[in-house]
Amino acid sequence: MLPLHELQLRFAAALFGDSADPIAQWIREDGIEPEGRIDIYRNNLQAGFAKALALEFPVIERLVGCDYFGMLAREFQADHPSRSGNLHHIGRPFSSFLRGRLGATQYSYLSDIAALEWACQESLLAADAQPLEISNLQDLCPEDYARLVFTLHPTCRLVRTGCPAIRIWRSNQPGVVEPEVIDLGSAADRILVRRSGGLVEFYTLPAGRFALLEAIQGGRPLGEAVDTACAADGAFDLAEALRQLFALGLFTGFTVTDPSGASGPPTVSVSSTLSMPLVRSGVPS
Amino acid sequence: MDPLSSPGGERASPGPARLRAGIGLRAQHHLQILAELPPVGWVEAHSENYFAHGGATRAVLGRIREHYPLSLHGVGLSLGSTDPLDRQHLADLERLVHDFEPYLVSEHLSWGSVCGRFLNDLLPLPYTEEALHHMSARVRHVQEVLGRQMLIENVSSYLRFAGVQMSEWEFLAALARDSGCAILLDVNNIYVSAMNHGFDARTYLDAVPRGAVREIHLAGHTVSRAGKRQVRIDTHGEPVCPAVWQLYARAVERFGPVPTLIEWDTEIPALGVLVAEARKADEIMEVRRAAAA
Repeated sequence: MLPLHELQLRFAAALFGDSADPIAQWIREDGIEPEGRIDIYRNNLQAGFAKALALEFPVIERLVGCDYFGMLAREFQADHPSRSGNLHHIGRPFSSFLRGRLGATQYSYLSDIAALEWACQESLLAADAQPLEISNLQDLCPEDYARLVFTLHPTCRLVRTGCPAIRIWRSNQPGVVEPEVIDLGSAADRILVRRSGGLVEFYTLPAGRFALLEAIQGGRPLGEAVDTACAADGAFDLAEALRQLFALGLFTGFTVTDPSGASGPPTVSVSSTLSMPLVRSGVPS
Repeated sequence: MDPLSSPGGERASPGPARLRAGIGLRAQHHLQILAELPPVGWVEAHSENYFAHGGATRAVLGRIREHYPLSLHGVGLSLGSTDPLDRQHLADLERLVHDFEPYLVSEHLSWGSVCGRFLNDLLPLPYTEEALHHMSARVRHVQEVLGRQMLIENVSSYLRFAGVQMSEWEFLAALARDSGCAILLDVNNIYVSAMNHGFDARTYLDAVPRGAVREIHLAGHTVSRAGKRQVRIDTHGEPVCPAVWQLYARAVERFGPVPTLIEWDTEIPALGVLVAEARKADEIMEVRRAAAA
């Protein structure tokens, strides 16, 4: 008998390949050719993977149809085999795989939709965390505001798409019988995904607010994040932005960076903002 | 240690003597179970489905756990693989066991990965001395990490390796002896493998040591073809077939009324179908109890 490791290598080679040859001589016939027996396992391997992927990307499956999705899943599995005993991880590279596979075609938008669906998956499974209240900042000196580094809530994801991804997503939910016709070039979305009450919610953000959150997600202090936001959107209003972000409970904590590491004084003073009353202004788009 | 002596507290814990059959916990049924609290003895969750650090699914498991004893059944630890054990996976399992205090924790007599590539399937082992030593060491390691006994389940198979030194039942018995694990006997899987490989399922049952079986699984399968031969495919997606019910009665006769689970993994039916199947298992256990009384 082969050593266990060698047998497992050959078995996997037979399943990922097209032929039972690597392992055939070590399989008892008992009335069925080794090829037929390996076929059953190979079929399980492909069908199980495609099914798990479809659970994570139901909108993509609906958009391209079952058969084409099954084909994409097989190609994706060949390029990105599962690296975990937990199938919930397989979808991470799917959006970039689709970009590589379909980026140059009229179906390039599928990569954006996959990014949105993966953001939903991650958000749904992320840790619970208590949001920061604006009152948690009351002991800070105004001169520290620019050096505030916020921690984004674990359920938050930011997705930038080149198509009206939220409309496409909504239009392809299980309950929708007749999906609307959507002009792919009609809009581009800057999307905040977050979890609330166990469900994911989408918010389309203006360019400045999105840039602010991206900078915060990247660990940048508030002063720098505000600079980025103003560069992205001349009309960026920090007071409005912070009211919405705190109302949504998007931050879970903060630190104040060392003054030596700070990037100079803030271009916008946030001191007036932080004393404003909180108004619940987050409206799901 | 006795897997039935689960932690008490406010959480439900089973009384072993009168324990009714349980059902596999599936996401489709979460809210209905909480709303109706169906009359089943316990529920079994696939561990990996609840590895998330937060969110609704994990929260629902906590609420269901307040009403039912829980068993955690893993499918992804790849115990029989020659790859190093996935420490993150084991840490996730450990956290789940800590948080939800299951009365049983089980995994499979199988492997599912090699060189970091996962097949996410329950693949059969060659029943050799080498595989036995390997599997025993891994099970002992997991039991040490979890600080408790685990159960190992036999899987359905579509092939047998040539040149092996043991039958599956000999291997399973030796594994229980060497590692100190208990056995989760899937009666459907025995039947499927027996039909596919041409051995007598009763031979298997009769060779499994009496005291080692702490849980029984019941499930359904389909009949397919490979060339000219009929093959039974374990879908866990059908009602339990009459032959498997018969085999179950024989198992209850031999092992006593051990915790029994109706397990359905594909084509998940209405909750009521699972509850009705669990009732059938209860009736068979009742007959055995009456005879023993």
